[in-house]
Formats: sequence, structure tokens, C-alpha cells
Amino acid sequence: MPSALEHVAWEACLVEPHSDKGLEAYARRKVGIPVPSIKFFVPVPWLARALVDLHPEYGLLVHLDQNVADLITLVVSQENSCRFCYAAQRAMLWGLGMSEARIQRVEQELNENLAPRTTAAIAFGRSQSRSGPARARDARQALRRAGFSDDEMKEIAFTTAATDFLNRAYTIPAIPVRPLERMPDQLRMRLLRPLIKRLLEKHRSRGQMSAPERTPASPYSRLIETYAGSPIAAALGRTVEEMLASSHLKPRCKLLMFAIIARGLGCEADALEIGEALEREGLDKPTLMRVLTHLDAPELDDIERLLVRFARETIWYDSAMLQRRARALLDRLSVPQFLEAAGVASLANGLCRMAPMVMEQP
Amino acid sequence: MIGPVETAAAFILFAILAVALYHQWRQAKRLRAQLATADAALERLQQTCSRLAPAGIVQQLIVDEIQSDIRLAAERKVATAMFVDLVGFSAMSERLDPEVLLRVINGYYQRISDALDEHRGHVGSFVGDGIVAYFGAIQPNPWECDDAVRAALAMRTAIREYNVELERDELPRIAIGIGIDRGPGLAGLVGSSERREYAFIGRTVNLAARIQTLTRIHHVDILVSEALRAALAPEFILARMPPEPVKGFADPVVTYAVQGVQPVLSRQA
Repeated sequence: MPSALEHVAWEACLVEPHSDKGLEAYARRKVGIPVPSIKFFVPVPWLARALVDLHPEYGLLVHLDQNVADLITLVVSQENSCRFCYAAQRAMLWGLGMSEARIQRVEQELNENLAPRTTAAIAFGRSQSRSGPARARDARQALRRAGFSDDEMKEIAFTTAATDFLNRAYTIPAIPVRPLERMPDQLRMRLLRPLIKRLLEKHRSRGQMSAPERTPASPYSRLIETYAGSPIAAALGRTVEEMLASSHLKPRCKLLMFAIIARGLGCEADALEIGEALEREGLDKPTLMRVLTHLDAPELDDIERLLVRFARETIWYDSAMLQRRARALLDRLSVPQFLEAAGVASLANGLCRMAPMVMEQP
Repeated sequence: MIGPVETAAAFILFAILAVALYHQWRQAKRLRAQLATADAALERLQQTCSRLAPAGIVQQLIVDEIQSDIRLAAERKVATAMFVDLVGFSAMSERLDPEVLLRVINGYYQRISDALDEHRGHVGSFVGDGIVAYFGAIQPNPWECDDAVRAALAMRTAIREYNVELERDELPRIAIGIGIDRGPGLAGLVGSSERREYAFIGRTVNLAARIQTLTRIHHVDILVSEALRAALAPEFILARMPPEPVKGFADPVVTYAVQGVQPVLSRQA
């Protein structure tokens, strides 16, 4: 079953897999089947957990139709040329019982023959991935015209942003794609397909609203609060909190990466919130301005200088070029630092793309 | 009572049906494979076209073809335009064999394109031996001015290395002139219904082209406008050139020669 992205250049994997029974069991509990790719992220547990916690398939969406969410994931992964996520989404559809012909029809019909609501949701995913939040207002109006409620629109924004995050997290370290692309062709997998289907269906759950939890005080707390009561708020809050608490990179370095990506995407509101957090970390305003304007300042240390420049590479990219630039980082960073940097940049891209869509007043 | 004749007839009928179904299945499988191949070829074609125009524009062009009532909207935006020219190309083209000349000029194009790719520039068009490139015209890029000058410096280095190769092959050395300006313009698909290209047009591109011609007057290889200089990082080493009149502009134009870039030293070091 050839994937439409099989021709996209994809470098050899930049990191080695490691075994961690706890994390592997965590992923298996959420997804229903073993998730071998999690082994590549073991040195940075918050990132490994976020890859399953923020996946729109597993208990996060309350209002949005799951089939629409699936199509958004497919389209955004295609736009971002993420061979891994595209193949994973195809493999999941196959695992759920869709025939090869039906999957190909779904891919072909992404541009036509869809209900107007689905078309509008797909167009939003495409526009966010191509143009970033610059056209958020137009995109939101188009969704409203198509009849989506505010809650559905927020979940569309989350699904797109989560896919943007997943795409980068798997692309930057060039996680191997062949096993996923070849999965439906393997006899073993074909024989196990009915079991895979049962397990996937069992774990592919809808979310439920609950009493709002405490939102951790961090940049993006205002964004997280807009999802109060939704499982998305809890998943996002936990991920941001764990990301900032992780010790492979300094908090100031991570916040600088966030600030650069916010600036690159034109998210002024985000830049302000991150700027305040950076001031608390001891970075003065003139230095921040200089970093935001020229990607450098004498006050930065070597790792910050390196990662500030790398962060901007993750905003718009060609997969193979991004992976080559990422490979160069490994000469200067340890593997946990590298993976944490990849996770921070990926998360920042997701959050910065989501914020203007859900936080701007209509 | 079913006799042997009826059984044989039923068996033959069943066999014919099975063969027909098998053929149908084989044909459907072959058609699906052809469809998948065509789909992959189309995707590859779209990727290839992305080298000629931004991927988003290619996608829009496809939609434009499907839904002929949709027309591409042009956008007014501020971007950075660069004009690169091969100095002394006319004289060189008279001296060299066409095949050798093509080899030399393709090597030059390749190096310039690589430098642009590396620094997030986009080739707008090849104009004879010149190249028009844009920074920040397709996707927002708040660092487009620094990127453009870093790309120009990378071109300087690449051409220097290329000249070593050319000398080794007993071919003439080449030199380039680069002009860069930043300002407003119109971005979008420009051209007739038969042939269109993605372009950033307006005063900024014209001024970049004129500034490029000033490299011969000032005997330097990289010149930037006052507007671009104002947006540059302080680590770039620039030299102010005397104002010069240029065609199409009322006032003499002040330019700055780019001499190099110094590393930002960490205060913590």
C-alpha cells in the first residue's frame, strides 16, 4: 500500500531506541497496542508521554466528529510532509478495518466530494499549516459560516496544533518510517488485523467534560484556561508543566525557543506572555528584543545561541533539510538535550499556532 | 433429481463464473495499482513544481484548475528583494564554447541557488545571467534582512571556491554583483493565462536591480540599500558608499558595501 509521501526525502534516524518498560506500558495502555516509536524518546519522558497524551485519537475530543479529526490529521501531516505521521494515520485507518482502496479514495476525496463542514475543517488545517496564524481570523470565520460551534472550533484548532506538534516531534529526529509504511503488507500484521481492530476501537475513545482542574501558572496558562473542563486542558497543562520542569535544558533556553517561534509566526500575544516569563528568568527587555530581532545577543550562552537559531528552522521547513540541520545539533548537544530541544520546538509550534485561533475575540 | 448432466453444467457454470470473477478481481487490482502509481506520480510532480513556485501556490494552482471560478489573490507585503548578476558574462560568452559556457553558468546557478536555499531565500526567476530572489515574500520571515545578507556572504564564499575549481580546469574566473533592498511590493502569480510565475514586483525589486549595477561603480560585490541597512544586525560590517544617481529614481541612492560579519561574542565567555 504505497503512501503518497513515500517519495519525500527522509534522513536516517538521528537517535537510538531505548527500552523503558514504564513508558512503553503507558503508551500501550493509552493506544491499545504497542507503540515502538516511543522507544526513541525514552531519554525525555515528558516528550514520550506527550506524544500519546496530545494525540487527538485518545480521549481528548468531546465535541468534534472523530472522522473530521482524522481527516485534519491526515491533511496537516501531508502539508508538513511528515512521512511518519502520515503513514501512522494510514496504518491506523487500515487497522480499523478500512480497505486499501477505501484509504486511497479518502486521500483522493480530500479535495472534493466532502460535506461543506468537513471541507471547511480541512481548509482550516491546510491554511494553519501553510500560513500559520496570520490568517486565523479568516479561517475562524469560514468555520463559523460552515456551522461549527465554538467548542467544535476550539477542538479543530487543537487537532491541527496537536498534529503540527506530532509532525515536528517525529520529523526532527527522523524516526524510522518504513516499518509503519510497510505494516499493512506484512503477513503477520494481516493475520493480527482483527485483533488490532478490536484493540484500537476499544482505546479510541471520546473525551468527557469534567470540573475544571487547576491550571499551572506558566506561559500559555490563558490558552489552557480556554479549554477549562475539557480533557484537552488537563493534557496541555500537564505537558507544559512537565516540559518546563525537565532539566536537560534551562527554562530560559526553552522560553527563548518559544519566543522565537511566537515571533516567527507573528503571535504578538504569545510573545508578550513569554517575554514576562523570560524577565522572571533574568533576561532583560533589551536583550530579548535583540534576540527576537536578530536571533542573537552577547548575553546568550552557547546552547541558547544554537537553539534560538534552530527554533526558527522548525517554523517552515523542508523535512530532509530540517533533519540535516538537526543532525548538526548532535555535535554540540547530548541526546537528551537534543530530544528535549526537538520537543520544545515542536510544542511551541503547536501552541503558537493554536493561540490566536482560540484566544482572539470574534 | 439432479442428474450428472445438470451437475456438470452447474460445475462448468460455476467455473466460468469463478474465472470471470478472478479476471475482474485481477483487473480491479491492476487498476488500483495504476491509480496508486498515478497518484504518487502526481504527488512527485507537485513536489517538483514546488521548486518552481511555493508549494502552497502549486496547490492553489491545482485547485484553480479544478474550480475555474476561483482566482488567486495577489498580496501587498513587505519583503526583501535580491538581484544577483554575473559580471562580464557577455565577454565570456563570446570567448567560450557553448558547452563549456553552459557548464560554467550552471555551476554558478547551482551555487547561488544553494546559498539561497540555505538562508531561506526563494529564486523568483533567472533573467539571462541574473537571478532575482526574494526573502519573506512567501511566508512571513521577521529575519529576512539578516538572512538576505548572510545568503549574499555565502554566495561570495561559494563563488570564491568555484573560481578555484574553474582555474584548475583552465577556465576563466567569474565574479558576481549583488544588490539588496527591502520594501513593499505585490506578491502573487504574474503573467498571461498560458504562462505565469510567482513574483514579487514593485519599486523594491527595481531598486535592488539598480543597486546591483552600482557594484561596478563602487568596485564591490555586495551592496545594500539604506532601508535594508537600518534593519540589519549590528554584527554586519558595512561601509557607506557615496550617493549615486540611478535610472528611474529621482534622488541619488546611498548604498552600503557589505564587508563581512563578526561573531557575537558571549559576555559569559
